[in-house]
Amino acid sequence: MPAIDRSALLFLVFGVVSLWLGAFFGLLGAWQQVMPGLFDVIPFVKSRPLHVSLVISWIFMVAVGGVYHYLPLLVGRPMHSPRLVRVHLFLWMILGLAVLGSYMLGRFGGREYWEFPPALGGLIAVSWFLLVYNFFRTAMQGRGPWPAYLWMWATGVVFFLLTFLEAYSWLWPRDDANVVRDLTVQWKAYGALTGSWNMLVYGLALVVMERISGVTEYARSRTAFLLYALGFTNLLFGWAHHIYPVPSAPWLRYLAYGVSMTEWILLARMIRHWRHTLDGAQRHQHVLAAHFLYASEAWVFLNLGLALLISIPAINLFTHGTHITVAHAMGSTIGINTMILFAAIFHTVDRVHGDTGTRVQYVRLGFWLLNGGLVLFWLSLIGAGMIKGWYTLMSDLSFQDIMVMVRPFLMSFAAWGIVLFVGITLLAVHASWALLGPFLRSRPVPVDRSTEAYNR
Amino acid sequence: MSYNMDLYRIDLSRIENMSHGRSTSFQGVHQRAIILVLVGLFAVQTALTWTSSTSVAPGRGSLSTQALIGRQLYQDHNCTACHQLYGLGGYMGPDLTNVTRAQGKGPDYARGIILHGTQLMPAQQVTPAEAGHLVAYLDAWASSGTYPIRSFDLTPWGTYLQMNDDARD
Ligand code: HEC
Ligand code: HEM
Repeated sequence: MPAIDRSALLFLVFGVVSLWLGAFFGLLGAWQQVMPGLFDVIPFVKSRPLHVSLVISWIFMVAVGGVYHYLPLLVGRPMHSPRLVRVHLFLWMILGLAVLGSYMLGRFGGREYWEFPPALGGLIAVSWFLLVYNFFRTAMQGRGPWPAYLWMWATGVVFFLLTFLEAYSWLWPRDDANVVRDLTVQWKAYGALTGSWNMLVYGLALVVMERISGVTEYARSRTAFLLYALGFTNLLFGWAHHIYPVPSAPWLRYLAYGVSMTEWILLARMIRHWRHTLDGAQRHQHVLAAHFLYASEAWVFLNLGLALLISIPAINLFTHGTHITVAHAMGSTIGINTMILFAAIFHTVDRVHGDTGTRVQYVRLGFWLLNGGLVLFWLSLIGAGMIKGWYTLMSDLSFQDIMVMVRPFLMSFAAWGIVLFVGITLLAVHASWALLGPFLRSRPVPVDRSTEAYNR
Repeated sequence: MSYNMDLYRIDLSRIENMSHGRSTSFQGVHQRAIILVLVGLFAVQTALTWTSSTSVAPGRGSLSTQALIGRQLYQDHNCTACHQLYGLGGYMGPDLTNVTRAQGKGPDYARGIILHGTQLMPAQQVTPAEAGHLVAYLDAWASSGTYPIRSFDLTPWGTYLQMNDDARD
């Protein structure tokens, strides 16, 4: 049984810390929106990028830590270079501090989320090269056609790097600089960047599902591969649904509309197979990880439905630029990504320690606060967006007048944010304690205690 | 965002059937061929997006030297945390796409707000000259089109035609 790599676990721990800090700044930002001037030491112009960068770091830290953690188990060999994993971890810790420092000092990337002053962006690209290299050197050692999750991870690591670099292409001076092209290329990059981290996260979900069910055929089936290919197509060609109102070339918009609509297939499949999934849930009731996966399933359903609706241009006309976009962004990063990442964390904890620790009841409480809070949080944002979208298009009211009507919804959003934050705190404390246990108690390097066979 | 999470769903009943008999692995050659075709098409799309992705008339939305300085200032001061352009950005403040050309607003109005702030927007730490560059940048946006799209015709296919845009080709 291979030893568990401590650096991979540390990625998870730092990820959890990042989530907690990120949620804190989110809560601050939410209250600053309804109470301007609140806590002026860190004004909204800083709390927002702190929030978004930290919570996205949570997704990347745990997704990448998950790859480093599970890949050796899946391939049956250690990582090609464990030292590069440590270098990567070290680089990211330095980068994390540098980003926090630069935001606090008021130095921003200033374009979109996960956008930093170019020097820091360059370092992130370098650190990512290490991952790409180490990933392929390790994954190529396995035999036979790849299971879907390896394709997903390969896609995630490569396309993150490509699109992250593309997002900085504005630095390249050109004589015919144009705002419309600037924005189009930006969203081409960011749409695919989001798709890339989703590939990492869904690959992780597939692995955890496979591990807790013991069923290894699915990830190697034709269906799994074709569904992956559908997701990949959407990553590559669906991004322009983010920029329908921008006067970019019309073919881009029609392409994105057409490609986005193929995802109804996924929704239809979910509805068809819903009952079976619940059957599966009963078999694994005792596993915390399974709870998080089933929660993510419900959120996939809700968010996919919302995403499909707002990808229809005639509906997007009303929802674009409103809080419905925020509902979409946080609904999926919290409801889907965060649930899957906690599933991976608690599955790892289970395996490393042989049990889930003693405070399962707190995890359950955190789970329900997070999910229950999120429902109302999400609905508040949708409400705010509907009001803003409708009155912006259908009335002559000014921005200020419309915001007066939106305000109660934003108050409700900020209030449910407190519940969410308490839930996240419970989960973060328990998860990091459980992950850190072996280090604090200076036990020998933990080994994989599960009896599952990892070799194909 | 790409929504392929359906992938990780394991439908146990079907999988048990699969393992009893039906072939479960999809040929590696087919897999690689599909990926290659997709990546090839993506390369074409990338080239087209970088070279000819706008539908605005020549000169519209182009960035002068002043406006380029303004773009850097807009980023340095993270205006995007609170403001949107074509509906993209943060949601605390209004969309700025057309502010320099909107009725009752204009360049001087924008410059005034940037320099002095309002009850809700903090005054920005910029010099009057820098405020001018920011306004030049915003004006490049204003010249490129109209947002929000208030005058439209919905089509039966779920798309819409914009009726109030004079900047398109
Ligand atoms: C902390 C959030 C915040 C930041 C940062 C911010 N603004 Fe604002 N801005 C606002 C708000 C809120 C309003 C609406 C003002 C009001 O209603 O009093 C506004 C209004 C404006 C307006 C007038 C818009 C209109 O249609 O009436 C302009 C122009 C503007 N901001 C430009 C900028 C620029 C340029 C920057 C960056 C240098 C910037 N703002 C940074 C929040 C912000
Ligand atoms: C305590 C709970 C949270 C609160 C109160 C909160 C609040 C906020 C606020 C106020 C914004 C800015 C919206 C605007 O500009 O108007 C935001 C944006 C965002 N949040 Fe959160 N947040 C929370 C948790 C999270 C978590 C856990 C994640 C992901 C794991 C997340 C992901 C995001 C993303 C991706 C955006 C960007 C949205 C966009 O640009 O459209 N948030 N959040």
